[in-house]
Amino acid sequence: MFTPGFKFFFGLAMGLVTAAVVYGYSTGGDHVGPLVWGWKGGIGDHVGYVTLMGLGVVAGLIAIALVMYRDADPAAQAHYAGVDSIAPTTPAAASHWPVVAAFGAATMAVGLVVHSAVFVVGLVLCAIAAIEWTIDAWADRATGDPVANKALRDRVMAPIEIPAAGAIAAGVMVLASSRILLNASANGAVIFAGLLAVVILGIGTLYAAKPKLSKNLIAGLMLVAGVAVIAGGIVAAVDGEREFERHEVHEDGAADDTHADE
Amino acid sequence: MTMTESQPASAVADNPPAAPSAAHGLYDWISTTDHKRIGRIWILVSMVLLVAFTVLGTFVGLERAEPATSGFFGGQNSYFQMWTLYRLGMVLLVVMPLFIGLATLVVPMQVGSTNIAFPRAALVAVWSFLLGAGITIVSVLVGGGWGALDGVTGDEADAIALTLVGTGMVIGALLIAAICIATTVVSLRTPGMNLMRVPLFAWSMLVASAVWLLTLPVAIANLILIYVDLRGGPLTFGDPEASGAIYAQIAWLVEQPQIYAFAIPVLGVIGSVVPAYAKTRQADHALMVVMVGVFGFAAIGGWSQPFFFDSTEDVVFVGFGLLAVVPVLGVLGGSLLTLFRGEKPTDRPPAHLHGALAAAVLLFGAVASGALRVIAPFDLAGTSAITGIFNLVVFSAVAAALTGVWFWSPKISGGLVAAEDGRIALLTLLTGATLLGAADVVAGFYAAPDLLLFETGSDVVDPLLIASAAGGFMIAGGMVYALGGFLVSFRSTNPEAGADPWDGHSLEWSISSPPPVANFVEPPARVVSESPLLDSSEPDTDGEDA
Repeated sequence: MFTPGFKFFFGLAMGLVTAAVVYGYSTGGDHVGPLVWGWKGGIGDHVGYVTLMGLGVVAGLIAIALVMYRDADPAAQAHYAGVDSIAPTTPAAASHWPVVAAFGAATMAVGLVVHSAVFVVGLVLCAIAAIEWTIDAWADRATGDPVANKALRDRVMAPIEIPAAGAIAAGVMVLASSRILLNASANGAVIFAGLLAVVILGIGTLYAAKPKLSKNLIAGLMLVAGVAVIAGGIVAAVDGEREFERHEVHEDGAADDTHADE
Repeated sequence: MTMTESQPASAVADNPPAAPSAAHGLYDWISTTDHKRIGRIWILVSMVLLVAFTVLGTFVGLERAEPATSGFFGGQNSYFQMWTLYRLGMVLLVVMPLFIGLATLVVPMQVGSTNIAFPRAALVAVWSFLLGAGITIVSVLVGGGWGALDGVTGDEADAIALTLVGTGMVIGALLIAAICIATTVVSLRTPGMNLMRVPLFAWSMLVASAVWLLTLPVAIANLILIYVDLRGGPLTFGDPEASGAIYAQIAWLVEQPQIYAFAIPVLGVIGSVVPAYAKTRQADHALMVVMVGVFGFAAIGGWSQPFFFDSTEDVVFVGFGLLAVVPVLGVLGGSLLTLFRGEKPTDRPPAHLHGALAAAVLLFGAVASGALRVIAPFDLAGTSAITGIFNLVVFSAVAAALTGVWFWSPKISGGLVAAEDGRIALLTLLTGATLLGAADVVAGFYAAPDLLLFETGSDVVDPLLIASAAGGFMIAGGMVYALGGFLVSFRSTNPEAGADPWDGHSLEWSISSPPPVANFVEPPARVVSESPLLDSSEPDTDGEDA
């Protein structure tokens, strides 16, 4: 019933706890202090008592873990569960959410020091990764068929992911474009807006005219355009807005235009 | 003792589920759940960091030996930043990730598992480590670090805060990886492999992971306390008298007894390499298992916090310092006995045997010096002996990790790393590390202080510091050479490596090189001893299954 691993660690735990109690009493512990972790009475020398008791607790936890897993022996597990065989574990599929979670954690760490807004961005990334990771973990074990699991996962998450991703992408593009428009000169802003419209319409026209065009090509074009706009937006945001013309109003109600942005 | 009264007819399902397909391309590297790919990322990154930190250590040593003329860092404060970066970096950014990488790659195969436990957590660990390491290093280079000798100014406070959160992130990532490794050993062993039959490297990683999980959260608590002091109120550390308190609160991580915790896998590597070379079973395997456990016990150091209370004359501190010698001697004795009992090959020993012996010599030097350090009459507290012990332990661990890289290279890259490269790199490491560590330990007997940046004027100490710097220089050269050899091998797979070029005894050597995605095409046969490949044809006679 009890595995050798359990017996070893349980015995070790009992020995360490006993040693902690004896050590506690022999170094000045009083009443029942060493027996009840100092709840009533002293435990004697703190360092030695805590070390021995801590190790005893850890050994006890390992013993419990080992008996739970039946020393990792599928035969013993199967016997314990009263079945002929234990179902093998389904391998975890590749996932990019752990990397997103890591970037989220790093963003939070930097945001903790730099600015609360950065921290919130990291927190949002971590929250998204946690939700996606949880759903993936659930879907991986939903049925015995990985293809069905993937379809099930997509059915649950796609109605949320696609609109959310679209909204985020649109928001980022609008934000980046607005930074460029605010940074560029008056004429430059017009040219940029025109170019952006041409690119969007061009890609749309291309796709409409040749619906069998490679998806990779379309995705590549959109990626290049998107990265260019975002990079331009970041540079523009760092550089700041251009100086805008101000309208000074005189006491008689007449307005003077000052043209600062040439 | 039989744990199952009647064994089920078929305990493991015949058809294991489909494994993740082999992946290619950048996206597959960042999203992989294959433990071998994750392990390779750990190993490559930590080897690059190893070279960087040994070069940094060389400059720190040169600055210390000739502070008046070298002036690499431009002042006491910068020297202190680099000195602390070297110390904490060698442990947290080099030694631990190197062992974690090896274990992530090798341990699942050693215990007969198709993958590591919690593979996605293993993936998040490696990426969190990379980002945390980046934050830590960059923040130190822009003026952060773990304190400032001349008092923390307002500008420095932000950079120091970044260093603290980066360090915390690195430790958190390492702990997640340790959980994955420990869980693999505890819960994913193949049938018949009880804990006494677990290969010594896997067992040493279980012990090391347990000790890290027990102690490193204390370091995170220290970092939180420092962060709160730094950010939460008036600039406590602005006073030069108090600014050194930042590093002092976490210095226990790189001092006795905690420093030994990072060398626990050294014993496992030695215990894996020597029996394979001797082509015989490990002598007194059960005793070796116990010795690794005892060394782990002697390495628990979260309780020893000299900043908060001086425990250096405490009976537990002295006892741990003396106790650490016993298991190291035990493992070395067992290994020598195995070599003596085994075959005596006439050809030149492979590079990994050189490495195992180098690691053993350095670790013994470290624990012997550590035992002298805790004996009060020698009065080594606060002296350069602490640096010497640190360097001996760390480079013992580096030697063992590189030994592991050479030994398990067929499983890492699919081919063999050139033996001559390994011999040169590991023997250079042994010579350099002995010079580096021993010189500081001896200087400690002449009362050379631990943090040193002035001419001592001593006819003994000054030459010793120069010798120590020369040792550091040798190590850096050897590590550059080792990384070059490894990368060349990594790029050009040697098809002649085969599944088991060393006649290894544990299950990873039953798999082709490089291993397939799910490791085992067929579930391994029931394990009946600690050397399953030696007795794969023998029947299970002892009945101790579970």
